[in-house]
Amino acid sequence: MTQEDLLSKLAAKLPHLEKAAAPVKDYLTMRMGSADDLIPSAKVLKDDLGFDYLEMISATDWLGAVKPEGYIRNPNPNVFLAEGATPQSIPTATPGYNYRPMFGVLWLFGNIPERARLFLRLEIARENARVPSLTGLFKSADWQERELYDLMGIRFEGHPNLIKILTPEFTQGHPLRKDYVHIKDKYDE
Amino acid sequence: MGIILEKLPGITKGMPGGELFLTTADNIIDYARKTSLWPMTFGLACCAIEMMASYASRFDFDRFGVIPRPSPRQADVMIVAGTVCKKMAEPILEIYHQMPEPRFVISMGSCANCGGPYYDSYSVLKGVDRIVPVDVYIAGCPPRPEALQYAVVKLQEKLQKMRTIAIAGASLQQEHGSRDILSSTPNNEPNLPPEAGPRIEIG
Amino acid sequence: MSPETAATAPREFKTDTLFINLGPQHPSTHGVLRIGLTIEGEVITKAVPDVGYLHRGTSKLAEVRGYHHCVVLTDRWDYVSAMPNNLVFCLAAEKILGLKVPPRADAIRVAMCELNRLASHLLFFGTYGIDTGAITPFLYAFREREMILDLFEMVCGARLTYNYIRLGGVMVDVTEDWIAKCREFLEYFKPRLDEYDTLLSFNPIFMARTQGIGCISKEVAVNWGLSGANLRGSGVNYDVRKADPYCGYDQYQFDIPLGKTGSCWDRYYCRVSELRQSVRIVEQALDKLPAGPFMATGVAKVPKPQPGESYAHVEASRGDLGIYLVADGQASPYRMHVKAPSFINLAILQELLAGRKVADVIAVLGSIDIVLGEVDR
Repeated sequence: MTQEDLLSKLAAKLPHLEKAAAPVKDYLTMRMGSADDLIPSAKVLKDDLGFDYLEMISATDWLGAVKPEGYIRNPNPNVFLAEGATPQSIPTATPGYNYRPMFGVLWLFGNIPERARLFLRLEIARENARVPSLTGLFKSADWQERELYDLMGIRFEGHPNLIKILTPEFTQGHPLRKDYVHIKDKYDE
Repeated sequence: MGIILEKLPGITKGMPGGELFLTTADNIIDYARKTSLWPMTFGLACCAIEMMASYASRFDFDRFGVIPRPSPRQADVMIVAGTVCKKMAEPILEIYHQMPEPRFVISMGSCANCGGPYYDSYSVLKGVDRIVPVDVYIAGCPPRPEALQYAVVKLQEKLQKMRTIAIAGASLQQEHGSRDILSSTPNNEPNLPPEAGPRIEIG
Repeated sequence: MSPETAATAPREFKTDTLFINLGPQHPSTHGVLRIGLTIEGEVITKAVPDVGYLHRGTSKLAEVRGYHHCVVLTDRWDYVSAMPNNLVFCLAAEKILGLKVPPRADAIRVAMCELNRLASHLLFFGTYGIDTGAITPFLYAFREREMILDLFEMVCGARLTYNYIRLGGVMVDVTEDWIAKCREFLEYFKPRLDEYDTLLSFNPIFMARTQGIGCISKEVAVNWGLSGANLRGSGVNYDVRKADPYCGYDQYQFDIPLGKTGSCWDRYYCRVSELRQSVRIVEQALDKLPAGPFMATGVAKVPKPQPGESYAHVEASRGDLGIYLVADGQASPYRMHVKAPSFINLAILQELLAGRKVADVIAVLGSIDIVLGEVDR
């Protein structure tokens, strides 16, 4: 199935999805307007269009450059410094880049027989971030949503068991948030 | 039986008939200890694969009397092979305390030595020596099986000098060595060298 | 009427559930996995896998490392097969940087990834034998595995963490000497595959312990998002090398072994059959190794790509390994998400173990073939 075929099918079945302005390179990326669209869209994708293989759930914090306080030691970016280059201090932010207090959540659906792949994107506000859970439709969402909850702090509503999965109990905060500041625990100096 | 009498240190002489020999108890204890070092099969990360390779066909750890034991109760040495994450620190400490005395620790690989490539990570313990005392460190990411075998040889050299009876029991370091950061009372006693301990003159 | 005594009273048979803690230090969990098992008699009623004992935070570290440095981090996810890890990051970064990889580098990459698949599946073959009570296959598998590691050592000096596939190509070119050694190994290795079949695959004890155990149906496998041999063992024909070809995999002739029932044995035999296919691919890659450069020109020492997002995925030894990479114009990735096959494959354990006997836990866990470094990242 080519991207054009898929796009026309999507336009017929799911007219509220629009093509994302900045797609994931080489893949068809669709944008959702609101979080309420997620479950109906996923249902149509799974039942009518054959996208029954949820490959990946990912999220990005668009807040800006990462804080050095999120690391135990200050990371040194000048290991392989090009000749004549000025030493740089990571992290820096690119001027003019569209940083915003939003989470971009990304779902990757696959259609195995048709060899098609579709990215679904949703932007939600950073404060009190909530997204419906897809665990009712796809079991593979279970741990991936828990991972995102643990590392990113996005609550997946309707998840049966939304608890920490990777970080230990005493780690406070969500490490992959851009404003994460590491609070020293008993194992740090 | 593979015991080369000349290699057994401190031997005075073979007795007539070849059935008896004279040595100190320390010598024979140390010799037995060093030639049957049983490590615990305890793989954490990448280095564990190299540890498995050392047990397997080409490197054949059995030559050193090193036979992996699945239970800490039967093990003498813990090979910390891999990244020690903070979530794993408590189980490691528990396993260390389950091992019978005298127990030894080999820290294998950069991660277990000092954090390695994860020196700035929020969830990695920067060296296993922060929770348990380490006898031998091996550099490398991951170290080769030969390096692990060299570490075992180095540990055997250390064991040959333990002289448990001569210094009347375990040294202070062996008794209070584990810097248990979870216990409430910190251990402030200085670790005395074995020579400073009380000695029993033999014969 | 005499009072009831203990002997005459009707015995009320009372059973109790018992909680067993498997791991994190257990010889057969292939690393630091903990499973909380609730058992009733011999039957498991609930299994809760607990991961995170090897969580090293590589996604966070990638946000301050340069693009070249990130390749070092990738080595240590699936440390048993590090080449595909290097490859998937390089593919994603090359997409974002707009680098064109020369054909010779592509062929070398394919050969290395398939050799690494051999090494990884051999490790699985050996450890799965140990899991089911056969020690000998481990020694046989490691005998051949050491030869593959020697080949890797010849090209890049490392046995496990290669850092060989770099942005824009590979670290160094392969020599004629290496190609000859590699062919020599392949010729040695082919008859060994039949040996493995007689040694373990069709051993009646092994088959009794693994056939019909831990069956995953097609629908369940797809719904849980399994990939790799776990998915193919259930009969779903999905292999990224065919479905979404990269590095010119569409020009190679190879088959995809499929299982029928999705039992432990099917998954196991899918992997053993993949060994033959990997040998075929390596031979083809060596045969048609094109001349030319092994590294693209114009790879910056500190690459600063244009802002954008890319996704690349490869068929790693454990399944469909993907990287989602976001660049914001700085020298480090803005966000790196790893779609780790082991992590997703492991989640099915909670459903697969419920209702089974305790003795099957290790057989089922071993057949899923996880690497904890990739589960926790």
